[in-house]
Amino acid sequence: MRELRFDGVSVRFGSRGHRVTAVDGVDLTVPAGSVVGLVGESGSGKSTLARAAVGLVPLSAGRVTLDGAPVPTRGRRPLQMVFQDPYSSLNPRMTIGATIAEAVPRGTDRRAEVARLLALVDLPDRMTRYPAELSGGQRQRVAIARALAGRPEVLIADEITSALDVSIQGAVLNLIRDLQRTLDLTILFISHDLAVVRYVSDTIAVMYRGRIVEHGPADTVLADPQDPYTRELLASTEGRSR
Amino acid sequence: MGRVLRTPLGAAAAGTVAVVLLLAVLAPVLWTDAANAVDTGQIQQGASADHWAGTDSLGRDIFFRVLVATRLSVQLALLATALGVAVGLLLGTAPLLLGARAGRVITAAVHIAVAFPGLLLALFFAVIFGVGTTGGLLAIGFALAPGFARLTHTMVAGVAGLDYVAAARIAGVGRLRVLFRHVLPNVAEPLVVNATVAAGNALLAFAGLSFLGLGVQPPDYDWGRLLGEGLGAIYLHPEAALAPGVAVVVAGLAFNLFGEAIAKGVGLERRLGTSTSRFRRRPRVAPDPDDSAMLVVENLSVGFPGTTPVRGVSFSMRRGDAVGIVGESGSGKSLTALAVSRLVEEPGIVEAERLSFLGADLRAGEHRRLLGTSLAMVFQDPMTSFNPTMRIGRQLSEVARHHEGMDRRAAMARAVDRLAAVRLSDPERRARQYPHEFSGGMRQRAMIGMGLMGKPALIVADEPTTALDVTVQRQVLELLASIRAADDVAILLISHDITVVEQVCDRVLVMYAGRIVEDLPAAELRTGARHPYTKALLAAVPDMTTDRELPLTVIPGRPADPANLPPGCAFAPRCPLADARCATEDPELVENAGARVACWHADVPAEVIS
Amino acid sequence: MTAAVSAPVDHPWGRFALRRFGRLLVSVWVLVTAAFGMIHLIPGDPVRGALGPTASQELVEARRAALGLDQPLWQQYLDYLRGLFTGDLGVSMNSGMPVADILGDRLPATVELAVLAFALAVLVSVPLGLAFAVLTRGGRRRPLELGFTSTSVVLAAIPEFLLAVALVWIFSVNLGWVPVAGRDGPSSYVLPVVALALAPAAILARIVRVETLTVLRADYIRTARAKRLPSRTVYFRHALPNALTAAITLGGLLLGALVAGTVLVENVFAWPGLGSTIVSSILAKDYPVVQGVVLVYGVGVLVVNLVVDVALALLDPRSTIREG
Repeated sequence: MRELRFDGVSVRFGSRGHRVTAVDGVDLTVPAGSVVGLVGESGSGKSTLARAAVGLVPLSAGRVTLDGAPVPTRGRRPLQMVFQDPYSSLNPRMTIGATIAEAVPRGTDRRAEVARLLALVDLPDRMTRYPAELSGGQRQRVAIARALAGRPEVLIADEITSALDVSIQGAVLNLIRDLQRTLDLTILFISHDLAVVRYVSDTIAVMYRGRIVEHGPADTVLADPQDPYTRELLASTEGRSR
Repeated sequence: MGRVLRTPLGAAAAGTVAVVLLLAVLAPVLWTDAANAVDTGQIQQGASADHWAGTDSLGRDIFFRVLVATRLSVQLALLATALGVAVGLLLGTAPLLLGARAGRVITAAVHIAVAFPGLLLALFFAVIFGVGTTGGLLAIGFALAPGFARLTHTMVAGVAGLDYVAAARIAGVGRLRVLFRHVLPNVAEPLVVNATVAAGNALLAFAGLSFLGLGVQPPDYDWGRLLGEGLGAIYLHPEAALAPGVAVVVAGLAFNLFGEAIAKGVGLERRLGTSTSRFRRRPRVAPDPDDSAMLVVENLSVGFPGTTPVRGVSFSMRRGDAVGIVGESGSGKSLTALAVSRLVEEPGIVEAERLSFLGADLRAGEHRRLLGTSLAMVFQDPMTSFNPTMRIGRQLSEVARHHEGMDRRAAMARAVDRLAAVRLSDPERRARQYPHEFSGGMRQRAMIGMGLMGKPALIVADEPTTALDVTVQRQVLELLASIRAADDVAILLISHDITVVEQVCDRVLVMYAGRIVEDLPAAELRTGARHPYTKALLAAVPDMTTDRELPLTVIPGRPADPANLPPGCAFAPRCPLADARCATEDPELVENAGARVACWHADVPAEVIS
Repeated sequence: MTAAVSAPVDHPWGRFALRRFGRLLVSVWVLVTAAFGMIHLIPGDPVRGALGPTASQELVEARRAALGLDQPLWQQYLDYLRGLFTGDLGVSMNSGMPVADILGDRLPATVELAVLAFALAVLVSVPLGLAFAVLTRGGRRRPLELGFTSTSVVLAAIPEFLLAVALVWIFSVNLGWVPVAGRDGPSSYVLPVVALALAPAAILARIVRVETLTVLRADYIRTARAKRLPSRTVYFRHALPNALTAAITLGGLLLGALVAGTVLVENVFAWPGLGSTIVSSILAKDYPVVQGVVLVYGVGVLVVNLVVDVALALLDPRSTIREG
């Protein structure tokens, strides 16, 4: 059980004259064993923040820590991520079993571990299948199993339901909730959909133009939003579901 | 590979390649003596029964020489290709292995080298490595490398940007393993295809080099040399030039076509899916026979070879109506919208018992003017729905110019006016801009403005907000609602998001697997839905009032595949209420108290389901 | 154009010109250095190679000194660069004529050939590709598509010099309509130009067709059809410019290849251009001339690429931004 912290994290892209600041001095704490929902529109920097946390994008300033120590980039990775599009996040040339096994740490019984993980995400007996044989929801569950293979204590879920059909979304959200409870995971749950974030999160952070504009317990943020953007977001979302 | 051989072209190319390779192995063994036999009595003869392609300046048989030359020609081509591919692969994958900085230098160098045509590079290297077989081999190999490097680099970069590579890196997989396990297998097919085509090109290039006298030197000979020798005597007996020429073309073409055939076969495999044709006539379900109906759709079907993604859809709309069609991907909702707007293209076939708009029968004739001015379309992706090379103002004004014969100035004035009407600030400046200078929300407004250039009676909006942010979504939906209110314009809104439809429309059609399964007033959606699919859809999506302590309702299974439907109700495999009857008989859409539903169990109360 | 609506500070056209010019400079520098380095990369002594094994050591030494090959490498490099700026490309090892004069003498014939062939290729291929795209879109007229594709594949795969030989055999040897070789009067242009243009025309026609088909499937074509514009407006105003922007990139590469193709065609037709010069010079080991021709060809290709990029920027309003 670990705590994920962002301290003054900035990410800038481009070079001379063309500099774009995607993430601008973000301070955010995901307390151990809790779910923090990060909501924002496309281009707000939320996905860049996630990619920066796992080292896919270099930081321009600040640091990301796990229990005060930098996120390790070698050996066992205690921080894992699930991606948005289950159609591009699984290698089409590898079986489900091989994909997951690759992420299992050395020195474990890989076969048994893969079987255990697939059972965990409710996909038993699919080890020899290829991604093309699975539906979008099933693929997303495989991606979750792969993320869990490294026995992470912290998980980043980046828009994991937005590429899925509406009838499938619910199953994936339920799975994330169950896993969080049984494994006591720390989760940073990223979505553009406030209703989805509200459903899974204890704490909600609102990101707008690279900055966290509001952050607090879910009920407080939703009942009494302080930032004008949060209010607009809330009004837009509530308008959709009177 | 089997698929490649089954096409006539692929089989012919593969056969020719096999023959060429066989000749390369056997010809020198069998006919070297015949090819080298000097006969001073038969110098520079034309074709005869003894010498099918005549003789050269030493009286040697040209036909046998061409056959024997197969080995050297093919060998050199394959070696040069191997060299080019190896160097190209190294350079092309170096950025991935060496990291960003070293990679950028290599990529820049390749970029410069690629700008120079292969022949020029080959000549350059031929000077350095010297005239002769080895020099030519190195020259052509290195000349092939930059092109192959760039191809490799482009494809590797494409795959390396995908999430599964990111996921592997996060999981701690090393760079080499990422390259060999995740990247190369996924770019192997196009690389093999291109290497095959490159072998053909290397063969031709080597022939060219030898033809110029820069490649193979006497006493060795390949096809290019034979060709060069033959050209000098083309007046006396053209066979001497034509025989090696034909050999070069046939062998080069065989490699090229074989590559193309592999490429086609690979493409085919992706496209071919299992499909069973099903085109059933549905009994007519009477829609509102009201004469004031502006749009009447009766028993509409859209068929493609192998599938019928829209089956027997019927509904009607009056002026000012707002009807929403809800469904998941593959439900046929977008195709229904395109069919209504007469925008389904071949090979799609639209059939309907009635399809009338403002009294005109849309099944016959083009109705350009009527549809161009009275029916407006708004598409899902505002980023790709405008022509990128034309200014926004011109894209709007051409509607008025074409359909109403307005002059340029008047049409542009109206375009600016309509951009203002969809609440774009500074419309005159906006009209002069290109689509890429607009944000997504602005483009969608401009798209709606384009529909307002005429006097629309109906706006068909296909997922108009899906690509937009929530806050922008609301503004676009409000814009549509205000246009509807102001001018009594009807709106047909297609969406996967039931809450969006609920917000804008007064009637909702729920589609599943190409059929309407429920049709009910939007106000009754939450309370009066009777089809288990509608109810499950409402419960599966969390909203701001969902109880966070309870798990969400789950619809098991996957959405129906229109190409492979079950015999009975298409929803039966996922339905908690399904029984034997549901599995065999497809329920009809039955009208009852202003709503329609297609379900054998429509009267089971909601509690049983969730 | 786009500049009018952008902030003056970062003028997209200014940035584009600057970036493009920088790239050209780098490429020219690489080219010049490669041409210079060529003579030093040759194993053995190039002067000995050129003069042959029987030449006396004194003669070789004297020629080395005349060519500056006894100087330190950096000095030679600087001299070479200085020479380029003053139009001095050295002298031929064989004839002693200034290389610049030889190039000036031979260049026009090659340029004529390349320009005529490119014009022919474009004039034939663009309308053809467009027409076939429209006729065979959405899987229509399969036999026609098959015929077009196979013909263009075969034509594209036949190298220029073979085509040239075949043309000579048919039209000069058998029919006697046009001269076999040489550059003498309009009729002597026909075969070299056709031989040079046919393969690029076939490739370009295929590319135009494929690009047009891709464009015809684009969302904005559906938008244009939804506006119920007449077909000719949809094809010529909405489809063609977008298909051409994609085709131009590859067309530029083809033009570069066509410039190089002159080497082979000139040798078949004994055309007094740079192509026959470079081959005879390579065989005679007359390296200063080879250097000069490589430079001219290289610069020609770079200029073509520059023209293509500018044409793209003019046709496609996004391109100046896309690259940045």
